[in-house]
Amino acid sequence: MEYDYLIKFLALGNSGVGKTSFLYQYTDGTFESRFISTVGIDFKEKRVIYQTANGRTQRVHLQLWDTAGQERFRSLTTAFYRDSMGFLLIFDLTNELSFLEVRNWLEQLRTHAYCEDPDIILCGNKSDLEDKRVVSEHKARELAEKHGLVYLETSAATGQNVARAVEILLDRVMRRMETSVDKSLLPHQRVLRCHERDTSPPSTSCYC
Amino acid sequence: MALNAQYEVIGKGFVQQYYAMFDDPAQRPNLINMYNTESSFMTFEGLQIQGAIKIMEKLTSLTFQKINRIITAIDSQPMFDGGVLINVLGRLQADEDPPHAFSQIFVLKPLGNSFFCQHDIFRLGIHDSA
Repeated sequence: MEYDYLIKFLALGNSGVGKTSFLYQYTDGTFESRFISTVGIDFKEKRVIYQTANGRTQRVHLQLWDTAGQERFRSLTTAFYRDSMGFLLIFDLTNELSFLEVRNWLEQLRTHAYCEDPDIILCGNKSDLEDKRVVSEHKARELAEKHGLVYLETSAATGQNVARAVEILLDRVMRRMETSVDKSLLPHQRVLRCHERDTSPPSTSCYC
Repeated sequence: MALNAQYEVIGKGFVQQYYAMFDDPAQRPNLINMYNTESSFMTFEGLQIQGAIKIMEKLTSLTFQKINRIITAIDSQPMFDGGVLINVLGRLQADEDPPHAFSQIFVLKPLGNSFFCQHDIFRLGIHDSA
């Protein structure tokens, strides 16, 4: 099936914050997951329709990248961040450490991402576990504002704000692409139209 | 010192004992007894560490609880100082994460009637340097 844009997002955050569940929830558990054990990448795909500001319709092929847990053993390599156009930075509202380490993730991200101010949505996940919450919405918003991030409270369990987080990220990335004068500054995959790609299967377009 | 003819048995026995302790979070701190205070080296995913205390700091800082492990192969060789060189190839699963291949090399150094782990090199089988 043809599409106009291939867009890659990366889910980041401490182990156990719910990255995989979050991405799984995003497509109601219906999308295919491709776990590539040799490179430590788990990616999920979904087709969406994006309406531009001037009313045009774009067919977007979303690739959502997830780690395979290797961050428990060591830090992620530069290659993992490569070519990603937007980031879902997820922490666990019931886990203080995961919130404190958002700073470290931001640092990593700004070092390795395609530019110093990439589009990032900060997600305080597990909002359904209200009685176990240890990170207040106020504190999270403060951090998000300080770093110029969009903040949402999400629940991969109930689905609260999960789709919204991805949609806001997609909207920001698409707007950035449209307003970008010099598209060569963006990771090369982002502006490739599908008819410019050859017809090789999606698995060859990933991490190799 | 002479070659130890029991190298196969020692290698297999050590690996079983080591992972039984490593994979159980309650027993993991006891791994400190496997290493020497000064003369044990570890390279964990590229991170170089020396001495039992620093090695244990690393191992106890790992954020998973339990590990499931499938050992594919244990290859051992006797060393000319009476020690044993061991290479382990296997797969592990930390908590509910996807499984990963790994390789680990140990050098056991004789100490009295027993051994301590003088060298320990661990890597996940992830090829993401591109």
